[in-house]
Amino acid sequence: MDVTPRYLGGDSFLGRRDPRVLLLVPLLYLVAVAGVGDLRGVAFCALFAFVYYRAAGIPWREVRKNWIFVLGFTAILVVVNSILTDALTVTARSPELFTVPLTGSVVSMATLSYSLTIFIRYVTLAMVGFPVAFAVAPNDMGVAFARLGVPQRLAYAVDLTFRFIPSVAASVRETIDAQRIRGFEHKRKGNPLVRLKSLKPVVIPVTVNALVEAEDTANAMDLRGFGGGRRTWLRELSFGPADYLVVAGFLLLAAGMTAAEVLGFSEEVWIP
Amino acid sequence: MSATDTPRVLSSRIVVFSAVGAALYAVLGLVSFAIPGTQLVAVRPAFALVPFIGKRFGPIAGFFTGFVGNCMIDQLQGFGFLAFWNWSVAVGLVGAFSAVLGAKALRHSNEVARIALTAVGALVATAAGLLFVITDMFIQGISFETFLVGNYFPALISNGLAVVILVPVLDAVWEPLSRQAGR
Repeated sequence: MDVTPRYLGGDSFLGRRDPRVLLLVPLLYLVAVAGVGDLRGVAFCALFAFVYYRAAGIPWREVRKNWIFVLGFTAILVVVNSILTDALTVTARSPELFTVPLTGSVVSMATLSYSLTIFIRYVTLAMVGFPVAFAVAPNDMGVAFARLGVPQRLAYAVDLTFRFIPSVAASVRETIDAQRIRGFEHKRKGNPLVRLKSLKPVVIPVTVNALVEAEDTANAMDLRGFGGGRRTWLRELSFGPADYLVVAGFLLLAAGMTAAEVLGFSEEVWIP
Repeated sequence: MSATDTPRVLSSRIVVFSAVGAALYAVLGLVSFAIPGTQLVAVRPAFALVPFIGKRFGPIAGFFTGFVGNCMIDQLQGFGFLAFWNWSVAVGLVGAFSAVLGAKALRHSNEVARIALTAVGALVATAAGLLFVITDMFIQGISFETFLVGNYFPALISNGLAVVILVPVLDAVWEPLSRQAGR
């Protein structure tokens, strides 16, 4: 289990940007695609997402498993919700293409168009999300959130979360090994209740140990006067021309797509 | 008071326990298993950490653990921290609600009653917090029936199982340690 944040796109165009840019872009992109029901509209947004993702320079072989999971999960979600069942509320009328046996779900061109829209929306959201995971130095997270206006202590908590992840992961591995020596084996088949109970020997000690150690960390922070005054950060962040350009591009995209939605250009499902 | 000033209630202890809770949820949350006979319903044992942290360390720590922990899981899996933002808010709300509902259980001297109240409080908090995923109706364009049958109930059943089984155990184990620490 490798959960340690990986800094794969450090030398890329996005890796050299102010980390606040990489946190703001997914937010702006979410605003842009949130209410878009038109396949052409979301495809237009996808172009921005694709160029942005390529600018992160994340090596494919390093994130292949992540992409397989994202594409697989999203495909299942969309197929189950739209093709196999009538879960998606597609109001646009179009000729019926076929009926799914057993479920009786009617599939039309509008259903397929809207399903593809949802699929592209989630996949492109992952595209703009990947650089946050792989092109922002983990130790820049705290200062980036603080400089975005998040209260200093909450920003520090985000920073601490990233710092704790490797040690918690190591503690999980150690606990599993220690419990195996005592005869523990996680049940991989059978009743979910039994499987859930079988995880107690791992979840309980890992949690309690982490919390006991956290008491020490909190005491150490108090002794060093944490929160006594306004916190400063060693890392200085500053927006350069390229940073402004990237944010402005996505700001325009978000504003344009929102305006198109308000004016009724992108809300309706597109039927080819 | 400027935007970056912090409220006094956010002590260093809450900061640290929030961060540890989110890290624990992010790491242990990657372990999940599907319920046989369902397609997308998975039991995530680590979900129990959210109401537990909420009950023991307050609503800010509970919300932070659920929200940031869930964002981290989505990020580690590759979706990006905002793809399922409404689910992250829902899990955060579970932590915040369990702080409110669990406060009564903390004051109970009878151990059996405390355990029962802890389990019920965590389950109610889970049911209430997960209601926020009704926003999927607007985000994904799903119907109310699909929200209820396809999203809410499966999530409630799978997470409810984890909560009812693990939260009372975690709480019972933490109780003597918390007394020892004088908290």
